[in-house]
Amino acid sequence: MNLFKIVVKNMRQRALATWLTGTSVALGVALAVAILLIKQGVQQRFEQGTLGYEMVVGAKGSPLQLVLNTVYNLDISPGNISWRLFEQLRDDKRVKLAVPFSVGDNYHGFRIVGTTDSFFKEFEFEPGRKPELAEGRIFNFSEAALRSAFQEAEQRAKEREARERGEEVKPAAEPQPEPRQRPFEAVIGSTVALETGLKIGQTFIAAHGVQPSAEAKEHTENPWTVVGVLAPTHTACDRGIYINLDSFYHIEGHEIRGPTAPAKVEEKDNDPDPGQVSSVVLKLRSPIHAFPLYREINDRQDAMAAFPAAEIRKLFDIVGNIDRLLLAQAILILIVAGVAIAVSIYNSMSERRREIAILRALGARRTTIFSIVLLEAVTICLIGSAAGLVGGHLVVAASNGFLYKASGFVIPAFHIQALECYILAVAVVLGAFSGLGPALGAYRTDVARNLAPTS
Amino acid sequence: MPDVMDKPVLELRGVRKSYREDDGAVLDVVQIGRFTVGAGEQVALVGESGSGKSTLLNLIAGILLPDSGEILLNGTDVTKLAEAARDRFRAANIGYVFQSFNLLQGFTALENVLLGQMFASHGSGAERATKLLETVGLGKRLHHKPRALSVGEQQRVAIARALVNEPSLVLADEPTGSLDAKNGGVVLQLLRKICAENEHTLLVVTHDPKVQEQFEKVIRLEELS
Repeated sequence: MNLFKIVVKNMRQRALATWLTGTSVALGVALAVAILLIKQGVQQRFEQGTLGYEMVVGAKGSPLQLVLNTVYNLDISPGNISWRLFEQLRDDKRVKLAVPFSVGDNYHGFRIVGTTDSFFKEFEFEPGRKPELAEGRIFNFSEAALRSAFQEAEQRAKEREARERGEEVKPAAEPQPEPRQRPFEAVIGSTVALETGLKIGQTFIAAHGVQPSAEAKEHTENPWTVVGVLAPTHTACDRGIYINLDSFYHIEGHEIRGPTAPAKVEEKDNDPDPGQVSSVVLKLRSPIHAFPLYREINDRQDAMAAFPAAEIRKLFDIVGNIDRLLLAQAILILIVAGVAIAVSIYNSMSERRREIAILRALGARRTTIFSIVLLEAVTICLIGSAAGLVGGHLVVAASNGFLYKASGFVIPAFHIQALECYILAVAVVLGAFSGLGPALGAYRTDVARNLAPTS
Repeated sequence: MPDVMDKPVLELRGVRKSYREDDGAVLDVVQIGRFTVGAGEQVALVGESGSGKSTLLNLIAGILLPDSGEILLNGTDVTKLAEAARDRFRAANIGYVFQSFNLLQGFTALENVLLGQMFASHGSGAERATKLLETVGLGKRLHHKPRALSVGEQQRVAIARALVNEPSLVLADEPTGSLDAKNGGVVLQLLRKICAENEHTLLVVTHDPKVQEQFEKVIRLEELS
C-alpha cells in the first residue's frame, strides 16, 4: 500500500467526477495542442513553400494576393503583366532564372498553370529540389509556338471587340502549331493524380476560372492529354496541373487585352508586346540584387514585385492574433477544468473527512493527507492532459484530410514538440493549484469529531 | 496476571480535558487523577454515554491533547511529542478499534488491514495482514470490500487492522456497539483472545453491561477523577 494507491482508489471511488473533470482538462489540452500543432505546421509549410520563390512579379495590386496565387495556387490572380517585361527580367544580368506563370482555368478545382519547360528543367521549389517526374515526360515547349499562340489570342481578342462593336468579322485562318509540337499536353501534380485518378495518356476538359463552379464554361474543344505525373513535393506543386504556356493561349476566352495588351501585334519593328502572363517567379544571382530590383519593379506603373517569405510572415502576424485568441480560449477551458476539479474534490470532502480521520487515526500525518488530496488533483490533471495531448494529435491527424484537400499539404500529426512538455508542466501546476484549497481543508480536518459514529 | 504497578504500559497522571461551550461555559469532559494499565492487561472502562470515554481514548491515542497532565505509553509522554511524532508513535504502538468499524469503503478487507501498516515504520507486509485476516475467520474474504461483508465481518477486519502492527496497546471504543448480541459476543471473544495470545494490552470503553461482564478488571470512569 502506498500513497499513489490510495489516490487511485479515491479516484476510482468517485469515478464519474474523476472522469468528468479529467475530460474537461483533456478537452482544454487537446484544443491547445491542436491549435499549436496546426499553427506551427501550417506556418512551417507555408514558409517552406516560399523557399524556391525569391521574388514574384505580377500586376499591381495586393502583394499577398500575388504570392498566394503564384506560390500556393490560392486566391485569384491580381491581373497580368506583359510578356516583354518577362523577357526583360529573364535577360536581366541580376536574374538567374525567370519562370512565367499564367492561370485562369481549373480541372475539378485543381488550378491549371501555363508555364514553360524551365519550370521543370531549372526551377527549384526548394534549394536543390526540382519538380521530378514520377512517370511520363514533361510537355513540349517552344517559344515559336508560344509566339504563334500569342498572335492567335490577340486575333481572337480583336474579333471579339469587333463583334462587340457590331462589325462583321472575317474568320482568320487557324494558326497551325509547329509540326513537332503537340500543344495540349499537361503534367499533373501528385495530389491531382491521386484525387482525380488521371493517368498518363488520359485526357481532361478544363473549366474556365480558377475556382470550380457549376456555371463555369468548359473548354470542350481543347482536351488536354496527361503526359507526365510529378512525384510528391509536399508543396502547392502537388495540386497544380501544368500545361505549356502556348496551349494556354490557344484556348477560347484567354484573349490578350487590357492595359498591357499589345496594341498592334504586327508592329514588330517597334518591338510590340507580344503577350501576357499572370506572374513571373525570379531567382536572383545574388541576394544583394533583391532590393534594388524590387524597387525598380515597384517604381513601374504596370508591375509589382513581392518577396513571398516576407508576405507570408506578414500573413502569419495577422493570423497569429486569431491563434492567440484560440489559445486564450483553450487556457480558459483549462482554468475552468481546474476549478471543476477543485469543486469536485470540495464536494466530496464531507464523505472524505471521515476517511481522512480514519487515516489520521491509523497514524497518517497531516502532510500525508495534504499530499494525498493534492496528488489526486495533480493526477487527474496529468491523466487529462496526457489524454488531451493524444487527443490533440488525433484531431490534427483527422483534420489532415481536410487540410490536404484545401492546401495540398499535411501537418505531421504525431510529431512530438517540446512545447508539449510545457503543457504537461502547466497541467501539474494547474492540478496543484486546484487541489491546494481542498488539500488545506483536508489538512485541517478535525480527527476526533470525524471519527465519532454517525447514526 | 502481570504486575500492573511494576510494569505499567499506560499511565495517566492529572489528565484534564475541557471544552468551551457556545455560551462560553467551560465543560470538563475528562478529569483523571491517576490511571494505569499493566502490560497484557485487559481492562473495561465503563461510563454513561457522554461521560468522555471516547475523548479519553482519543487523548491516549494522541489524537487529542489534554489541557494538562501526562499520558505515558511505554514510558513515553505522548503529550510532549510534536504532532507528526505523535502520529508515528500512534501508528507503531496503538491499535484502534471503533464502534462503527471505520473501514475505508473503496478498499478490500486486505487493503484496509494493509492501510494499518502503511504509516508504521515497521510494516510487516501482506503476509501478516493475510494471516491476521485468516485468524479472524476472513481468509476467504480477503478481497471483498466492506459493503460485501456483514457488520460482524467488518468489525473483524477492523480488529485485524488494529493488530497488524503488533501494538503494545489496543484501544477499543464500544467495539460491539454496532453489532447484535450474538455477533458482539463473538467479536469481543475474538479480540480478547488474540490480544491475550499476543500479549497486547487491551483497553475497552463501553456502557454495555454484557461487555463489562466479560472483563475481570472493570473501572468506572468517575472513579478515576
